[in-house]
Amino acid sequence: MALIELQQVSKHYLMGNQTVRALDGIDLDVERNDYLAFIGSSGSGKSTMLNILGCLDKPSAGSYHLNGKDVERLAPNELAEIRNQEIGFIFQSFNLLPRASALSNVMQPLIYRNVFRSERKDRARQALERVGLGDRTDHLPNQLSGGQRQRVAIARALVTDPSILLADEPTGNLDSRTTVEIMDLFDALHTEGHTLIVVTHEDEIARHCQRVVELKDGRVFHDSISGKIEAHA
Amino acid sequence: MLFSLFEAFRSALYSIYAHGLRSFLTTLGIVIGVASVIAVVSVTEGMASFISDTFSSLGSNSLTIESRTSFEDQMKGIRNRLSADDLELIERRGEGIASITPILYANRASQIRYSSQSAFSQIMGTTYAFQDVGQLYTIRGRFLAQSDNLTRRRVAVIGESVRDNLSLPDDPINEYVEIAGEWFKIVGLLEPRGDLMGFDQDDMVLVPYSTMQSLQGNQTRSDIQIQLSLTESADVDLVANRLTVLLRNAHDLEPDEDDDFTIQTSEQLMATFDQVINMVTIVVGGIVGISLLVGGIGIMNIMLVSVTERTREIGICKAIGAKRHHILSQFLIEAMLLSLLGGLVGLALGYGLGNLIATSIPSFPSASIPLWAVLLALGFSGGVGILFGILPAAKAANLDPIEALRFE
Repeated sequence: MALIELQQVSKHYLMGNQTVRALDGIDLDVERNDYLAFIGSSGSGKSTMLNILGCLDKPSAGSYHLNGKDVERLAPNELAEIRNQEIGFIFQSFNLLPRASALSNVMQPLIYRNVFRSERKDRARQALERVGLGDRTDHLPNQLSGGQRQRVAIARALVTDPSILLADEPTGNLDSRTTVEIMDLFDALHTEGHTLIVVTHEDEIARHCQRVVELKDGRVFHDSISGKIEAHA
Repeated sequence: MLFSLFEAFRSALYSIYAHGLRSFLTTLGIVIGVASVIAVVSVTEGMASFISDTFSSLGSNSLTIESRTSFEDQMKGIRNRLSADDLELIERRGEGIASITPILYANRASQIRYSSQSAFSQIMGTTYAFQDVGQLYTIRGRFLAQSDNLTRRRVAVIGESVRDNLSLPDDPINEYVEIAGEWFKIVGLLEPRGDLMGFDQDDMVLVPYSTMQSLQGNQTRSDIQIQLSLTESADVDLVANRLTVLLRNAHDLEPDEDDDFTIQTSEQLMATFDQVINMVTIVVGGIVGISLLVGGIGIMNIMLVSVTERTREIGICKAIGAKRHHILSQFLIEAMLLSLLGGLVGLALGYGLGNLIATSIPSFPSASIPLWAVLLALGFSGGVGILFGILPAAKAANLDPIEALRFE
């Protein structure tokens, strides 16, 4: 069984009187240790896709199985649990807690898992060392550079040992040199066996990935594995 | 659950500490509210325990009958009196009376002299029965005796303050003092009783009733006070009612006329004090209630601001797995701690204030805070925090994670 199974997933919004089809009948499987990029212009449904994959949002129709669990029927608290255990988020704007040190930021998701403080500290320190920030644990986010902040965010995503890492434009706020560093880190994580899904509009980033899925108007326009191109797009 | 509560405490304390000044200003309303209630309660409580101690030493089963002249009559020059006839009437016809004594107050400035020293004091003509009624005991010598009264002896029993004021020796028995040109032999020294509300209870001189009468000359015009103590089984109200009827008849009062005397029980007197203290407590309670309400609204306001300010943080926490109750308990506990810390500061402040008031007024009983006031103040402030924290905390917990993450 695939790690992620989407069947006819749709997401409709009501904007005024108009129904916006952000996602329109998506079928997609993601295997373990995949390294997948969603590309597409803005408005293609990339962000909605990421929100649904990340269990922040529920599809209007269709079914979503994550690691064998039927996700679309879960209550908000159960979704929170899935987010905590199965998913590691990496955001474009890092989204670190501004008043907490790098270490505390990485420790945060473990609080929701009832891990004791000493163990939280050990695991967070290991995660920070993994991303090369073992010497920056006590720094506040605003004392770190953009690349370092993104590394803290990656450490936070890694610390819970999730099934998938979801990255939303992870290098959107970074310069080209730091971008290369972060992407190298992603490649390394992939080699270690992690499953990565990256949303990006940069071909440069997509090129790192094994598989590229292009979305257009809420549908899969092109999938590099199947080579399928939607006729009516 | 317990674990996440503990974590919520930790992060709430951190958040309060991180916004030190804001936290302090937010909780200032609670501080002031709690400080004022503790200050007032500590002062009134000190007073109340002192008063009830004093009254229990007075003996609760006693009645005082005095003449009463309405203000209108006073303006007309009328002066109502209680006479020796009234005393005799009550002695003869009253029921349930254990002992009865008249008190005749000196009607002139009461100067008293000993060698070169002189002092003013309260001089009262009374009988041996006053010892029972007034619960007075001598530490030296004896009290007035019935024979003193019958033979109009020139003897006096004095209070400790009088002894002190006149520089009498420690044992003043058999010394002579001069009152209104007559020489009195001191036969007893009363046990010191201290102050009551700034009134010195040891500043008095007791002489035999009949001696006082003869000093005053015109006996028919003298106005006496009658004090009596009741037997164990007697009902105070019943006796008072009966005496009222007796005296009204004796004074030929028409049904529409007011009493020309008052009968006061010591219970009544104590009830009056209690009433005053209760009134103060209720008024202060009301003020405190209002200030806690205002303080609570202040906390709610700042917590709402804080939720808005931290919307993005809440979104982040939700994205990495925080459940509703994590967010809810975090903000609720922050509001409660904020308020509770205010309560603690208020408690310390109020205690200091109460002591300051108590010590700055001379002869005022010292302040004391009863445990119930402490628990109530802390319970209330914590409760206010929770009550007014519910709305902001619910707002935070119900935020949609996607919306919250998008919040700038």
